[in-house]
Formats: sequence, C-alpha cells, structure tokens
Amino acid sequence: MAGWANTPDSFGRTSRLLHWAMALGVLGMLGLGTWVHWMQPNLSNLWLYGLHKTIGLSLLALVLMRLAWHRISPPPAPLGAPQGWEVLAARLAHRTIYVLLLAIPLSGWVASSATGLDVMVFDTWVVPRITPVSELWEKRGFAVHGVLTKLLAALLVVHVAAALRRARAGDGTLRRMIRGRA
Amino acid sequence: MLFNRSTLLAALASLALAGAALAAPVSYALDATASVVGFETDFGPDRITGQMPVTRADLSLDFAHVARSTVAVTLDASAAVASFPFAAQAMRGPKVLDTAQYPQIGFQSSSVRTEGDGARVDGQVTIRGATRPMVLHATIWRQQGSVATDLSHLVIRLTGAVNRSDFGATGWADMVGDEVRLDIVARIMQVP
Repeated sequence: MAGWANTPDSFGRTSRLLHWAMALGVLGMLGLGTWVHWMQPNLSNLWLYGLHKTIGLSLLALVLMRLAWHRISPPPAPLGAPQGWEVLAARLAHRTIYVLLLAIPLSGWVASSATGLDVMVFDTWVVPRITPVSELWEKRGFAVHGVLTKLLAALLVVHVAAALRRARAGDGTLRRMIRGRA
Repeated sequence: MLFNRSTLLAALASLALAGAALAAPVSYALDATASVVGFETDFGPDRITGQMPVTRADLSLDFAHVARSTVAVTLDASAAVASFPFAAQAMRGPKVLDTAQYPQIGFQSSSVRTEGDGARVDGQVTIRGATRPMVLHATIWRQQGSVATDLSHLVIRLTGAVNRSDFGATGWADMVGDEVRLDIVARIMQVP
C-alpha cells in the first residue's frame, strides 16, 4: 500500500489526489468557462463568473502545490523505454500541460484585473489586481486565455487517449495513477 | 402619500389668484438628503438600478411664465451606487462613467415649457466630459395639507433617458443596455 509520498516506482496519495482533483476541476472549468463565455449575463447567472474565478484560482494554487510537492517528493520515472518516442512525447505533453495550467488561470486573472472589477474568490475575498485597468490588457488577456484553453483541451484529449492506449497495452501507467502501483 | 398631486397648470391657476407678487421666478433650494436620482438600465432580461447623490441644484421656477424657469443640477457620479456591487464598480470605472476623470454629471436647462399636466425641460447634459442635448419630463407636487397657493415646499419628479454610447460610456455593451432611464425625485423648498 503506497503512502502519501511518491517512491521511485509508485505515485503516493498526495500526487494522485492532486492529479484527479485537478482533472475534475479542469474538465469542469472547460465546460463552465465555455458556458460563461457564451451565456447572456443576467442577475441569476452572474454568480457563475465568481464560481469560474474561484475554481480557476484554486486550480492555480493546486498546480503550484503540485509543482512544489514534486520537488519534495519526486514522481516515479515513466514506464517504458527511457528514450522511446512515447516517453519523450509524454514528457513534452506533460510539461506543456503544466505550463498551460499556470498560464491559463494567470491570463484569466490578468484579464479580469484589467476590467477594473474586483476579482472575488469564494464570494468573500478580493484578490489583488495584477495588471493596470486597461481595455488592451483585458482584450489581449481574454484572447490568450481562450487560445490557451483550446490548446489545453486538445492536449488533454491526447493525454487521455495516450493513457487509455497504454492501459490497453497493459503497461500499468494508468493503473499507477489510480492505485499508486503499476 | 405625503403630497397631494398638483400640477404646474393648477399651480399657475392658483397663482393667478394669489396675485402678481408671486408671478416672478422663485429660487428653490434642494433638500439633497430627501432627493433621489434613480437610474436603471437593462441587464439581459433583468435590470440594473441605482442612485446618485445630487451635489448641487439651482432651481428658479416661474409658475406664471413657465418658460422663464431654469434648472441646473450637478450629480456626484463618483458616489453612485447600484443594485449589485459589480455594477457600481463597472459604472464608475474607465469604461463607463470614468469618474476618476469625470466625477460629476451636469445638467443645464435651455428651455422649459408646459406639457400636459407637467413640463418639458430641454437642456444639455454633460457626462464623461461630453455634452449632449437631453429632454426631461417634469411633474410637480405640492406638499400635502398645504393650501393651493403655498408653493414653499415642492416635489419635482423628472424622467428622461440617455444613450450611454452618445457619451462614449460604452463598457460592457454586450451585456448591459445602451439606454439609461432616469427617474429623479427632488424635494425643494423656496429660498426666502
């Protein structure tokens, strides 16, 4: 039974919890973000903006915790041939996903700050403004947010497909992220 | 109801009885704390409502010669409140009223004339540094219990609308309506 920390050949509970909590959050946010983008705002759905920002900044906190945790407790090396194309492609995809998990909430925060409206989380706290109030920053920030989100959605399709492909091949990669051991 | 409805025309008629002494422009002072500048605009199927305090109002009313009446009002846009906090913040921000640069909204009448049982006030409104024509429709009430000739305390209701795009106040145009409807209730008293 794996513990909280990672070992050279297993994912501990902390990494797995972070992975699956973020997976749930990110998938939910892709749906919520799309909904918020297209909906006609009114008094009864205005709270969804707050929810989107709350989940988005929570996901930013989680990815920072995850990166810090991987410094403290490094994840196991990928299964398969160390120099195989799949491992290299997976490394590139994972790194890009991490960059996007940082850049997407940050771009949302930048754009929201630029609107001049308070960015509130949990309907209680106002987070600091990180950009000047500017229509240019707002426009560009939201444009970047949208493009990066689509890139993340595409990468997640590849990520899930690759995980399922490996699971079908029976190499234990997916099982290791679910149960800890291959 | 605190006030009996009277009208400019009725006031005019009663003033005819009161004699010529009153048939001249009379200055009124605003009871700012008991006056409200209300506004509303569309927000999807809903409405955003709010209020702005009046900084200053110079009113000179001539019930015998309505056209001689003048109205000048200054509002404190920087202290505007709205039905939910984000709306007030958005409204005061640089994309709408930009109250950091333009803290006040001003209205100056150019002509006043009777209209139905009220008055039509044409004038110029300055919002966000841009001055545009505006029409306000006025109705006047006398205080309840006062005699018909007692015009010392009055209530004026002014209604009208502006399109915020005319003033460059175009922020959130995809979410919030262009037309802003005003409903001003001003309690005024004669200046001795």
